[in-house]
Amino acid sequence: MGWRKSMEATWALVRRAANELLRGVLAPTIFFLGLTSVFGALDNLAGFPAPYKDWLIPVSLLQGAGFTGAATGVNLARDIEQGWFDRLLVSPAPRPVILAGLVLSAALRSLIPAIFLLIVGFAIGVQWPGLDGLLIALLVVMGMGTVAACWGTTLALKYRSQSAAPLMQAGMLLLVLTTTAYAPLALLTGWLHTVARYNPVTQVVEAARQGFIGSVTWGNTWPGLVALAGLLAVLSALALRGMHRTAI
Amino acid sequence: MPAIEANGLERTFEGGIHAVAGVDLDVAEKEIYAFLGPNGAGKTTTVRMLTTLLQPTGGSARVAGFDVVAEAANVRRSIGVALQEAALDPLMTGRELIRLQATLHGLSRQAGREKADSLLERVDLVDAADRQVGTYSGGMRRRLDLASALVHEPKVLFLDEPTTGLDPVSRRTIWEEVEQLNREGTTVFLTTQYLEEADQLADRVGIIDFGRIVAEDTPGRLKAGIGHPHLEIRLVEDVAERAREVVAGFGKPRPSKDGAVLVELEGGAGGVAPVVRALDDAGLAVESLDLVEPTLDDVFLEKTGHHLEPEEPEAGESE
Ligand SMILES: Nc1ncnc2c1ncn2[C@@H]1O[C@H](COP(=O)(O)OP(=O)(O)OP(=O)(O)O)[C@@H](O)[C@H]1O
Ligand SMILES: [Mg+2]
Repeated sequence: MGWRKSMEATWALVRRAANELLRGVLAPTIFFLGLTSVFGALDNLAGFPAPYKDWLIPVSLLQGAGFTGAATGVNLARDIEQGWFDRLLVSPAPRPVILAGLVLSAALRSLIPAIFLLIVGFAIGVQWPGLDGLLIALLVVMGMGTVAACWGTTLALKYRSQSAAPLMQAGMLLLVLTTTAYAPLALLTGWLHTVARYNPVTQVVEAARQGFIGSVTWGNTWPGLVALAGLLAVLSALALRGMHRTAI
Repeated sequence: MPAIEANGLERTFEGGIHAVAGVDLDVAEKEIYAFLGPNGAGKTTTVRMLTTLLQPTGGSARVAGFDVVAEAANVRRSIGVALQEAALDPLMTGRELIRLQATLHGLSRQAGREKADSLLERVDLVDAADRQVGTYSGGMRRRLDLASALVHEPKVLFLDEPTTGLDPVSRRTIWEEVEQLNREGTTVFLTTQYLEEADQLADRVGIIDFGRIVAEDTPGRLKAGIGHPHLEIRLVEDVAERAREVVAGFGKPRPSKDGAVLVELEGGAGGVAPVVRALDDAGLAVESLDLVEPTLDDVFLEKTGHHLEPEEPEAGESE
């Protein structure tokens, strides 16, 4: 199968996934609105370099991407349980193509809750991040959606059951939680400080955040992109290994 | 070159379940081969190994000349598969499914469109083609599933219980389609729990029980090997136990089935009258009485000691 055919097969799988109900479109927005209204008072707190809603919106964007990505794993587990996935596995489409179809659909779908959240955010006065800041944020959303989808896919292939869903969601939640997502590094203490400092997702969060709380610089961008690429490499390798193991 | 070849094929699951315990197969090109066996016999497990969905834990197999483990990609290119749990996305239309399948098999968009048209025509789903699969009947789903296995004109077709749960008319439609495909040169490996299906459709039948092939031949030769017919007696009252004692003198008794008393008649039809007289003398009123020529169920019984089709719970036990 040539690459053109492979692309077409991938696209066909993407389209199928898009057929499915778009879950969690609203969740990150509701989450964001809830947190900003409860913790909006933190605007006055020392150590926060920007209004809380500007500070938080990139985090909600990433979390939306994480949930959408993890949903890919849940859907795959369901497809495995119901036997749909076998249909793909007995086809001669190369395993990486099948995997790409799954995770690329997650990348595209994760844009939907993100765009919705951004529209609501701008409506309530979130700072405009500039075109470059916006594009970086959306790129990071797609990247994290893909990372989460690889994680969900890996677990789905391993456990072959929807009961692994909490694990798929929790993995992404933890990855984002143990960063500077909710508070600046200076305000984090103890082990959380240490973990947040070395968690590559911290770089990703900061890259997505920069436009919302200041201006975009290359220095704040490249570490995030490198971290994202690293996460993608590791998790897609895991998912691909799962694909090869699941059938011969 | 045989279309399907297996040597000592085995699959053990975690927990030590020996689902397939050493299966040898030699299916010729253009043959229809049926695996006949009850629930849990190992039919699906065998099919999953032959179609590269499951790794064997022992033995080896080749399909269309390719090893199912080492050359899995080549096997997949050569086979069409309709699995037992026909997983279909209820939100897709029949046409979308076939076109997706065509794309997965590397057909161009134009070829996929044409293929979808001709296959939908072939399985008589033109009218339903643009409806969501969720609205299809069981028979329509199976036909769609069969059609979707044919997009790339496979040399070898695997059908895992293609007609289980279907009404007789839908079943016959599938049979006709399978026969037509076979006439066009497709090798067919199918599994079934239905005697008639194996009997009518297959060139050769392998009877599988507890993961082993216990008999394998053409349906005609398998039945001829059994020899004598048996008498199936139904009584007006529930007096099966006494009836069994009465007929025991006339031939080998058999485990009962659906409440009927069964006895083999070595002498054939000539042995019927004495049995009837004896039952009459014993005061047992007969409701119906059939002389049954050997079926594949008899073969199954002889080879395994039990019936293929499960006994009704209320039926009298054999001993
Ligand atoms: N993934 C699995 N893990 C553990 N045991 C399994 C698994 N798949 C099948 N088995 C067991 O292997 C045996 C054979 O199952 P298989 O599905 O091959 O039977 P079958 O002949 O297809 O039955 P049916 O007519 O019900 O479809 C059964 O005892 C089944 O419980
Ligand atoms: Mg089965």
